[in-house]
Amino acid sequence: MIRTKNPLLPYFFVAPLVLLLLFVFGYPLVQIFDFSFRRIRGIDGPWVGLENYQLILNQPLFHEAVQHNVQLLIAVPIILILSLIIAVILYDRVPGWRIYRTIVFIPYILAVPIVAVVLKKFFQYDGPFNEALRVVGLDLFALDWMGSPDLALWTVLSVIIWREIVFCIVLMLARLLSLDEEMLEAAQLDGAGWWQRLWFIILPQMAGVIEFYFVVSFITMIAAVFSYIFMIGKGGPGTSTMVLELYIFNFLTRSSLPGVASAVSVMLFLVTTVLILILFWVRRGEREQELA
Amino acid sequence: MKHSRRLSRRDFLKTSAALGAGLTLSQSLPALARTRRQDDELVMWWWGEQELPGLQAWVDDTVAAYTGAKVSAMLQNTDVVISQFQTAAAANEAPDVQFLWNGIYHMESVWFGYLAPLNGLVDQAVLDRSGATRLSFYQGDQYRIGWYPLPMIWEYNKDVFDAAGLDADNPPKTWDALLDACDKIKTSGVDPIGGGVQDGFWGEWYLGHALAQSLDSPSEALDLFIGDLDFREPKYHEFWVRLEELKTSGFLNDSMSSLELYPGIDLVVTGQLGMSESIGTRVPADNDTLNGRVGVMTMPVFGTGALAGKPILDSQGLGISSQTEQKEQAAAFLEFMHAPEQLAKFWELTHWMPADSTWDSSVIDAPIVQQLWDGWVTSADSIPYIPNLMPAQFWTDAMFVASQEIIAGTMTGEAAGDLAARVVQEWRDFNPDLVENYQKWADDLR
Repeated sequence: MIRTKNPLLPYFFVAPLVLLLLFVFGYPLVQIFDFSFRRIRGIDGPWVGLENYQLILNQPLFHEAVQHNVQLLIAVPIILILSLIIAVILYDRVPGWRIYRTIVFIPYILAVPIVAVVLKKFFQYDGPFNEALRVVGLDLFALDWMGSPDLALWTVLSVIIWREIVFCIVLMLARLLSLDEEMLEAAQLDGAGWWQRLWFIILPQMAGVIEFYFVVSFITMIAAVFSYIFMIGKGGPGTSTMVLELYIFNFLTRSSLPGVASAVSVMLFLVTTVLILILFWVRRGEREQELA
Repeated sequence: MKHSRRLSRRDFLKTSAALGAGLTLSQSLPALARTRRQDDELVMWWWGEQELPGLQAWVDDTVAAYTGAKVSAMLQNTDVVISQFQTAAAANEAPDVQFLWNGIYHMESVWFGYLAPLNGLVDQAVLDRSGATRLSFYQGDQYRIGWYPLPMIWEYNKDVFDAAGLDADNPPKTWDALLDACDKIKTSGVDPIGGGVQDGFWGEWYLGHALAQSLDSPSEALDLFIGDLDFREPKYHEFWVRLEELKTSGFLNDSMSSLELYPGIDLVVTGQLGMSESIGTRVPADNDTLNGRVGVMTMPVFGTGALAGKPILDSQGLGISSQTEQKEQAAAFLEFMHAPEQLAKFWELTHWMPADSTWDSSVIDAPIVQQLWDGWVTSADSIPYIPNLMPAQFWTDAMFVASQEIIAGTMTGEAAGDLAARVVQEWRDFNPDLVENYQKWADDLR
């Protein structure tokens, strides 16, 4: 271990990297905050105070976008429950588990734009999904999955779940593989059934990874679904799949109003920061409980 | 035995120094690149291969044939044509020559001061014959030179018309005749009209054809888009009411909401659809596929505006950055693009017409292309494409939404008018600094 009498020396060593990080992350953040208070044309513009925020908050489309992001949060518990079940099944090494594990991971190695384009065609009104339904006589269920404003958001949601679930399964499986098998075997010898082992032994030990994924996927649904939305329907039909990221994109690249886009970005940043802080707070509380 | 390598202090400092040097270098590279480019070459950012296959070959040929300067041409992605240029211009890194869509798609760059007027730079005779259209002018100055024309048309399948008992050589000219034709085509078992609205462009084209019918001049459209006129007046949202009529009559294809623009038009070529909106550049290929059984027409008339029933002509174009120190060289290159040899090459490599009234059109080998040249490109009746006057916020929040929802059956034409009026007000609130420019532009177009 290196010992030094000068307490500032370690800071000196890390300073270049800290400065680099500040430049890479800090500078754009400051710039975005600054932009959000200006009417930017190109890369500069006059100070307008809170006007951008007021305009956004008064626009019905913004509220629709927020509402759709909130609706997408339904995916979080669905993904968690499904992936937990699938991970436990794979962990139990049911016959053919190696093949199932490979199949389950396939969606995650496909790029989102490819997934979106393929599934968009799959769900078209005259696409393979509806054709299959018609062939088996289920014409009644051959709906306009992508073209109906009532259905489009739920179709996008199903595509998001289909792909994003894989990351959760990987996390769950990794945690399961690190569990103490002796405890599970002992429970089995004592007569605990599958459900009892899951509920009383496996789940309590997976609380940490579940909390982690909960926050990560929460942030994903609020601030990282753009590629799905843009590739599938660009917010349509109508405004039925408009989300905050697309709202930002439209103001930034189409309406050439980076100040407005920055104001929404700042709001999004603050929301996600609060979520991360909540996670840290919960985790710290748990750690303190464990130590006590 | 494996040895784990620990990061020594020396390595750490070396890494930090390398990162710092890299950062400094990356900051200075654009400046170095700019210096080198200004000395040696013209930089052109262009777009068009996406809609006109063969254009890349023509650009390559033109760049190779040009001896006035070395030209570096970069094909742009559709989604960033405007933002890439404006961002580069704001950072004083704009290319010398830039592809420009018509109307508002380059006019905002004019207002921001990113484009140079071409009058006095490019030979006036070349500018005059390039078919840049009225929407390339602001306060008396021309900012775009025409590159190739885009007739905005309705395309129909003559075999479908024949099978429905219609006269394929005399397509409907009035709204009532259109409804009658739709009825007969539907009875014959084919979807009469439609396409694909999922990506929004069908809705834009529809607005271009249909809103024009209620207008007496392009300036009236600008007055509408900036709120000096009101979309809630029946006259101004009638075009959406007519779309609603086509929907409720069952004349639109059921798959329309889930299809994108071009797959939707393909249904005409495959005989699954009678009519759709289309664009001139698609016609030669579609006509070849259908063995000459494609017809083109203007939108049947319902409106009483002076623009109703007129052929619509748009054009793609190019401009010169206000920041370049090589304006004369850039202008010379644009003139070279309109040299007779390059115009002939344009047809040879794209099988499409260049935007130049002196081009030798005798090489046109298909009657339908000749019809487009005579009836749209060189016609004195041709009118500008109205969506080129539409602010982007109107495109995303009003046109896109209204057309998709009407076609999905979840919005009426009247409600679309209310939505448009609200979006126009929002646009004014978000862009108070642009309203005056739009008003001046409207005055130019009166």
